[in-house]
Amino acid sequence: MDTFSLLAQGLLVAMEPSNLLYALIGVTLGTAVGVLPGIGPALTVALLLPVTYKLDPAGSLIMFAGIYYGGMYGGSTTSILLNTPGESASIVTALEGNKMAKSGRAGPALATAAIGSFVAGLIATLGLAFVAPSVVKFALSFGPSEYFALMLLAFMTVSAAFGESTLRGITSLFIGLALGLIGIDQLTGQARLTFGMPNLFDGISVTTLAVALFAIGETFTVVAQRATGEDKVETVRGSVWMSREDWRRSWVPWLRGTAIGFPIGAMPAGGADVSSFLSYSAEKNFSKHPEEFGTGAIEGVAGPEAANNASAAGTLVPLLTLGLPTTATAAIMLAGFQQFGLQPGPLLFATNAPLVWGLIASLLVANFILLVLNLPLIGLWVKLLSIPKPWLYAGILVFATLGTIGADGSTFFLGPVPVSFGLLLLMLFGVLGYGLRRFGYPIAPVVVGLILGPMAEKSLRQALQISQGDPMALFHSWIAILLWVLALLAVVLPLYLRARGKGRMLAQFATDED
Amino acid sequence: MKQFVWASIIAGAMALPAMAEDYKIMAPAAPGGGWDQTARSMQTALQDEKISNSVQVLNVPGAGGTIGHAQFVNQSSGDPSQLIVGGYVMVGAILTNNSPVTLDQVTPIARLTGEYEVIVVPAASDIKDMSGLVEKLKADPGSVSWAGGSAGGTDHITAGLIAKAAGVDPTKVNYIAFSGGGEALAAILGNQVTVGISGYGEFAAQIEAGTLRIIGISSDERVEGIDAPTFKEGGVDVSIQNWRMVAAAPGITDEQKAAILADIEKMAKSESWQKILTEKGWADTYLAGDAFAEQLKADTEATTAILKEIGLVK
Amino acid sequence: MSESGSRNTRRRPDRAALGIAAALAAVAIVIAWSTSQAGGVAGYSPVGPKTFPYIIAGGLFILSILTAIEAMRGHFPEREAQDFPPMLWVLGGLVAQMLTMKTIGFSLSTGLLFAATARAFGKGALWKTFPAGVVFALLVWLMFAKGLQLTLPAGPLERLF
Repeated sequence: MDTFSLLAQGLLVAMEPSNLLYALIGVTLGTAVGVLPGIGPALTVALLLPVTYKLDPAGSLIMFAGIYYGGMYGGSTTSILLNTPGESASIVTALEGNKMAKSGRAGPALATAAIGSFVAGLIATLGLAFVAPSVVKFALSFGPSEYFALMLLAFMTVSAAFGESTLRGITSLFIGLALGLIGIDQLTGQARLTFGMPNLFDGISVTTLAVALFAIGETFTVVAQRATGEDKVETVRGSVWMSREDWRRSWVPWLRGTAIGFPIGAMPAGGADVSSFLSYSAEKNFSKHPEEFGTGAIEGVAGPEAANNASAAGTLVPLLTLGLPTTATAAIMLAGFQQFGLQPGPLLFATNAPLVWGLIASLLVANFILLVLNLPLIGLWVKLLSIPKPWLYAGILVFATLGTIGADGSTFFLGPVPVSFGLLLLMLFGVLGYGLRRFGYPIAPVVVGLILGPMAEKSLRQALQISQGDPMALFHSWIAILLWVLALLAVVLPLYLRARGKGRMLAQFATDED
Repeated sequence: MKQFVWASIIAGAMALPAMAEDYKIMAPAAPGGGWDQTARSMQTALQDEKISNSVQVLNVPGAGGTIGHAQFVNQSSGDPSQLIVGGYVMVGAILTNNSPVTLDQVTPIARLTGEYEVIVVPAASDIKDMSGLVEKLKADPGSVSWAGGSAGGTDHITAGLIAKAAGVDPTKVNYIAFSGGGEALAAILGNQVTVGISGYGEFAAQIEAGTLRIIGISSDERVEGIDAPTFKEGGVDVSIQNWRMVAAAPGITDEQKAAILADIEKMAKSESWQKILTEKGWADTYLAGDAFAEQLKADTEATTAILKEIGLVK
Repeated sequence: MSESGSRNTRRRPDRAALGIAAALAAVAIVIAWSTSQAGGVAGYSPVGPKTFPYIIAGGLFILSILTAIEAMRGHFPEREAQDFPPMLWVLGGLVAQMLTMKTIGFSLSTGLLFAATARAFGKGALWKTFPAGVVFALLVWLMFAKGLQLTLPAGPLERLF
């Protein structure tokens, strides 16, 4: 019963024609729902999971794998084409991807996203199969101190990587940090900045903020330019397929993104968003064309998309080996596993071997079908852009609001009128998103602040509480020290490079002039 | 077209009263969570057993269930078709969040399932049993770091109760709140903290695999299938159950309440429900009517007392 | 927020940008004030629930001063002229949807949003776009509420199904 024969057996089952059909249905459904602007993978998986209940175990498992990968992938399409990410992990994809789409390179952007997702999914799924135990060991060595250092590193690299003005970039970040304060403090149970409103007790939902700032803010911006700007229709220029140059510039970011995404996805407090941020700043630092970042650099799509998908597979490492759901999507999947009689935990690989290998084989097949399905569809997706704007944006708003109401049915009384609290926030943040764009403030750092701020605060306080207030605990392991050094380098290195007059891109951060 | 719309509105309004025999269950949590799963399992069982024709689940997440609960109390009064799922966590959340709406304002129907709290240590830990833990706690309460769920939740309350029963000041408990049991589990496995406290289900797989050692369980008597002494056996007089319940709207008549009780009783005894319980690994701690109402009252009193002592409720 | 359509590249000080500086300062003050009102819970960590709020409030305050300086120097990027009436249509659509969603149900309420957005983008005839929006939203409702069991507010129209 060695690993390979088990995997081969799983693959044989997954390749049966009826199972391939289920995989195809799963991928199609997952992509179709995941692609709707404003509906992220967690909601997609939650909605589609019951569809699999009716099938036999093998078919249900494989359809489920298809839905998972389809849902994870679907979001990038609308991020690139319409600048409307459905969740935090595809925000970075929107940054460069949408710029590419606006200059007529939607095809290559979608292609590099699809192939990057495939490569990352393939490597990471194999990683899941063969190195899960050691990866999980590494992930477990991360305690609060290490997370704090990691968050620090993320802040240092990410805040330097967004936008053209340092002042406005940091202001955006602080707006996000301030929003992150809202809600009940997890460590003490105290309400902060809630002004007595129970609807704010759980804080601001990252999904709501991302959808509002991007989808709604974008709609405002586009409609406000209607009279002045001649219709900036994103016509497809050149081939919808990737050029040789695109391939050359994509393959390293795919691999780098995978290398960043898989381990971070495997961490109990990592997740797809953090790894996509880190991958973006890595690509920006390593790129031979740093000046293209912000105007549509293909590396900025290839890397983060690969990281995003690799961490989706990485999430399965703690989920399967420890029974640890680390993301909202994973928590829903855990519920899904129970119906297959799969009890995730340290004994899973020993007691449930055929099922686990069946799942891994299903993931591989689903990943492959995703590519086969999506590459030919790119031409079709690009046609989305030729939908007349009134219908396109009306549709975007319908789905953006649908996702919000569906996830949060709470009612809030505005005087005598019952209103949906989620929609109220969506509207307010939409206006904020427009204001930020109007005055040249970058959007992404707001979401970054909302995600990283609370994580950094929580891990710092947990670390200090465990050590009963001893700050040296923050440097108690070599991993923590290494991360601190890297974070320090992220600050010092650009200063040094600038002193030596290198890197136009870096010089650009220093100046306030545009 | 317009006429069609108006016609539809009128027709729709007229169709409204015809739906009275169906149930609408509120899950005051996001899709996927424990209360949501309970609500959706009830939906399945009620429909499969033909107790009700149509059951709808509405998710209103937030603030430990208090948002959904407040909305339920305000909007369902006197409506016998509306139910809400809830649990022990809500007792604490209502107190810590200063919620204006309390559990007295719904009509409790029955406790459906429950889970006991357990304390675990890493396999290599020098703490072997409850008395070892109590000893350490008495010597230096700050040196024992407890990993569990959010502040003020069941895990935190249990930790406070244990300290109190051991004669240690509950405010001195070094409780580290993690989001959800998952992150806490990672901290325990990574040897970041001294002990872990959470529902048995969070740790079951690790306990079976031998990576974690269970040193006590919060039940009154030993639980079949779990090889662990109770807290009481370990000399700590604490018993607590993290239960889930179903309640009906406020202001319904006694006949309506009896009808709902009968439906829920039928569901709880049904084959579909029992099958779901086994599948999900939920313990059947069914307790209905007045007995449950009394239990609820006792739990609320004990919880209020301990939350005040920990300092979470003024 | 700013007067519409003015090309204010060289205008100093940039009054809209000064407004942003004032808003940032106001947020900083609100955070600091609200934090000072909260009761403290003693814990083992020297970094308590109030530390981060104060740091962030301080940071926002400094940023507000820096923004004010930039505004005085007229260093903000040039802004394109904006067309505000269409924006108000979109905003109006969102407000209308928010206010009516819980009362008249998903389809009718979302139909309002759909029609208002289409109007903003220049498809004028509301009597055509509203029914179209309602039908579209109803199809979406059927797909998600009936097909996928997502709970969406039901009004008179949805109860027909």
